[in-house]
Amino acid sequence: MSQDYSKDVPLAQRLERLGPDSYKTAVFRLAKTIDAPSAVHLESCVRCGLCAEACHYYLDDRDLRSIPAYKLNLIIRVFRRYLGSGGRLASAWLRTRDFDDGEVREWIDALFGRCTLCGRCALSCTMGINVPALIRKARGLLASMGLVPDGLASTVAAAEETGNNMAITREDWLETVSWLEEEVQAEIGDPAARLPMDHKGATMLYVVNPREPKFYPLTLTAAAKIFHAAGESWTLPSTYFDVTNYAYFSGDDEVAGLIASRLKGEMERLGTKTLVLSECGHGFSSNRWEAPEWLSQKIGYEVKSVLQVVADYVRTGRIKLDPERNPKTATLHDPCQLVRLGGIVEEQRLILKRAVRDFVEMTPNREKNYCCGGGGGQLSMTAFTARRRSAGRIKAGQIERTKAGVVASPCHNCLDQLAELNKYYRLGVEVKSVIELAAEALVLDKR
Amino acid sequence: MTVLKWAVILSGLYSVVALTYLIFKARSFGRRTAYSTPQGSPSRGVIYALGKGMMPWEKESARLHILTYMGGMLYHIGIFAGFGVLLAGILSVEIPPLLREALRLCLALGLISGLGLLLKRLLGPHGRRLSLPDDFGANIFVDIFIAAALVTLSKPEVTFFFLAYSIFLLIYIPAGKIRHCFFFFYSRLLFGLFFGRRDVLPVRPVER
Repeated sequence: MSQDYSKDVPLAQRLERLGPDSYKTAVFRLAKTIDAPSAVHLESCVRCGLCAEACHYYLDDRDLRSIPAYKLNLIIRVFRRYLGSGGRLASAWLRTRDFDDGEVREWIDALFGRCTLCGRCALSCTMGINVPALIRKARGLLASMGLVPDGLASTVAAAEETGNNMAITREDWLETVSWLEEEVQAEIGDPAARLPMDHKGATMLYVVNPREPKFYPLTLTAAAKIFHAAGESWTLPSTYFDVTNYAYFSGDDEVAGLIASRLKGEMERLGTKTLVLSECGHGFSSNRWEAPEWLSQKIGYEVKSVLQVVADYVRTGRIKLDPERNPKTATLHDPCQLVRLGGIVEEQRLILKRAVRDFVEMTPNREKNYCCGGGGGQLSMTAFTARRRSAGRIKAGQIERTKAGVVASPCHNCLDQLAELNKYYRLGVEVKSVIELAAEALVLDKR
Repeated sequence: MTVLKWAVILSGLYSVVALTYLIFKARSFGRRTAYSTPQGSPSRGVIYALGKGMMPWEKESARLHILTYMGGMLYHIGIFAGFGVLLAGILSVEIPPLLREALRLCLALGLISGLGLLLKRLLGPHGRRLSLPDDFGANIFVDIFIAAALVTLSKPEVTFFFLAYSIFLLIYIPAGKIRHCFFFFYSRLLFGLFFGRRDVLPVRPVER
């Protein structure tokens, strides 16, 4: 384990434990964490503040501390103090800061508590600064000091220790899948329908969010029905089945790499060709884009979102969807990690346009969509719950304006946040996953 | 006057060398190999980032703050015009009347824009608290440079002051935020590589 997550010790106590050496070590780590692109971006901010309205936190509270440039400059002032040019000589002119207790507390509040790493500010930045990448690095520095906020720390620790973020035992997982298999067979009246487990040599290995077996089994059975209808060769893994990687949000690359390596191990053990990720925004970013970097190697297999797989079935006619089975007007929330930072933009639209009778876009949408507020580990950090709900007002307004009856999203973090916003802002909508809607529209051939 | 001109040239050289050093210093932090397989085209991303991606209709921040965006554009045009006047002064080149008028217009608009941006930073809801002393200093130093260039066009007798002031500005450039004149291109390049690689930008044509 790279650091002390101390899931049983509250953050406040962990802060009290810090001594002068902790800060010195952190600065040393900062020098190791920063790479050339980060250094270039840290030298580039001109504090024009035009990024303010890109952030849903700022749109909600109009607080200086929510402006992306402000958050970024927390990092810049420490970077310049120790690693930049002229930082010590011109500290008053450049307002550089020592990395100390006060600074650390401000970092935690702003970089964990006022940011979902959604990346919307990066698109708005005149200079093109990758703000979420820098904030993630700063979070990593805090993680190295054992300063990940409660909730997120315990989620990461659970994944690290048990293999999945909800600490579901292998027995429970196998039992749940077996039960779901019976459900699917009964529902579609086909005993040949399977939720295959550890099927060596299958084409696809399908990994899911632990919330699916735990709370939302319908999304898992939805995918199973679609794979069955498409005649897909697929399997679930018996041991490491978790698509999520919350160390992506805590910024801890070492633990993130460990978690990512487990899925790689399952791919190699089962000899599958494609790792298919269930609907999860950060799970996609982590496994598709970041895992090879964390593991410092090219991955010898394809990594796809289930959306890409199902969109391909729809395009090629491997499955048929009847939109009349979903008569309510549906809209789509684009998960930031999947769309703006992941590049999966049109697949979910293709599926929904075939699966629902009436599809309406939110405004703005696609890469310009607002974050729902549930990303960045916010759902697990209870200290920031009120702020998260309040900032979700921007998304709630977007949903309301569509007048849709159903909000679909291909991400379980987003679905949880949307469900909460639905209650909190009394939106009166149904919140569903894209694959669920596709499965409801699925036309099954009688075999 | 000749000594002063050489001093300006040397200051300019210092500025370029110092900025290049800063770029190399940033690069010295090391770049990791990108192991993930690209989904889109990094080169198309870069072309977008340095071209169309800077247009106001592509960027929400520019669209929402169109006056600031226009002000920023005019400000930078004014700065380039100022350097044009400086170059003409160093080379003792007579500026043709038409070009002189064009430069005068660019400088005047640049100066107004610069002062406008300074006021916005001072009076805007968060500008002052978000800014560093360097942000105000850089703006004021550049405004004086543009103003000096503008006056020099009409009153050649102040050329001495303009050249002397340029030495100060050129030396200051790498020390503060004006260094973004170099970092801007590198930062936009990285932006294009990142989003191009992931097939986010440029936006794909919509699949029907």
